[in-house]
Amino acid sequence: MAIRNKTLIIGVGRLGIGIANRASSRGEDVIVIDPEPSALARLDDTFNGFKVAASATDLFALEHNCEVKTVMKAAIVTGDDNLNLFLAHLLSTVYEVPNIIVRFNDPDNGPLVKELPGVRTIYPFDLSLEKFGEIDNQGEDK
Amino acid sequence: MNIVIANGDHEASYIIDMFKSKENNLIVINSSEEIAMTLMERKHVAVTVGDPWLNSTLEAADIFEADLFVSLCKKDTDNFAACMTAKKIFKVKKCICVVQNPRNVDLYKKIGIDSVISSTYLLAANIKNESNADSLIKSLSLDDEKIVMIEAILSSKYIVCGHAIKDIGFPKFASIAYIVRNYNFLIPHGDVELREGDMLMIACAKENEKKVLDYLKREKRA
Repeated sequence: MAIRNKTLIIGVGRLGIGIANRASSRGEDVIVIDPEPSALARLDDTFNGFKVAASATDLFALEHNCEVKTVMKAAIVTGDDNLNLFLAHLLSTVYEVPNIIVRFNDPDNGPLVKELPGVRTIYPFDLSLEKFGEIDNQGEDK
Repeated sequence: MNIVIANGDHEASYIIDMFKSKENNLIVINSSEEIAMTLMERKHVAVTVGDPWLNSTLEAADIFEADLFVSLCKKDTDNFAACMTAKKIFKVKKCICVVQNPRNVDLYKKIGIDSVISSTYLLAANIKNESNADSLIKSLSLDDEKIVMIEAILSSKYIVCGHAIKDIGFPKFASIAYIVRNYNFLIPHGDVELREGDMLMIACAKENEKKVLDYLKREKRA
């Protein structure tokens, strides 16, 4: 059985780049996958992980280039909620990745991954609302 | 039956024709306003306009506890999302979707879709069947390919031809369901003698298909 020690980032938008750079600077063994080579080029010069220019729905790329069976932690942060939903199911059910964080723009997708082991969700809407509330409260206190 | 037809253009139109009857209540959903208008005008059905993977659309279409959800979106992942939402949130009993990538057929079934159809997958299966070196034997997979029905037309060169079923040592892991002889059905039993031209319909598990075919295709010594 392969040792799981890698961090996989799927989707290299602003959030994906941020997560990848942070994980890389912490010394994690990072792999990023995105079908757009230009998106991968936006990673920091100091990023020392492995870049894969392919779609994460390409199982060959996922298994052979990303070595998904050795992944300990995955962040699924493409801009497509339906793709993120599918990948969360794929990584959890088929590849048994133990820790998966998936980003959904639509909070209605949350219940669709609730039963998957190891999957946690983040919603930009909720996070923004929470932050707005915090800032708003600080303003009132002043 | 309450049948939901989500997205699709000509495919949706064809399925509407197929299932439109007093017994069925069709719920048609389409992301495209243009296609929705065409379906309404030509098929005289109500169409909810919206993306079929969104709760708001499925709620508006009132699909709760429908019997069947057919997803015909162009993107495989959209079909996956639509079926998962229909099944998990709206408790639809059975979900079927089409996929462009034939490799997704088995994968989507594994991760929760009841039935997955790919035209390329079906085409490949047909080609494989039709290109069988022995054109007298065809097979059909049932129940998610767990069961195989083998249709074999007996040639005089086969060992089993000219013998009663009880004498041919027919494999225990397969069963002759029926025999067609000169357009008549015969119920197989031990005393029935197999003849040239008989069409045998044999059922077996998928993993035993090759063993059954090898058994049938044994030829008499010259």
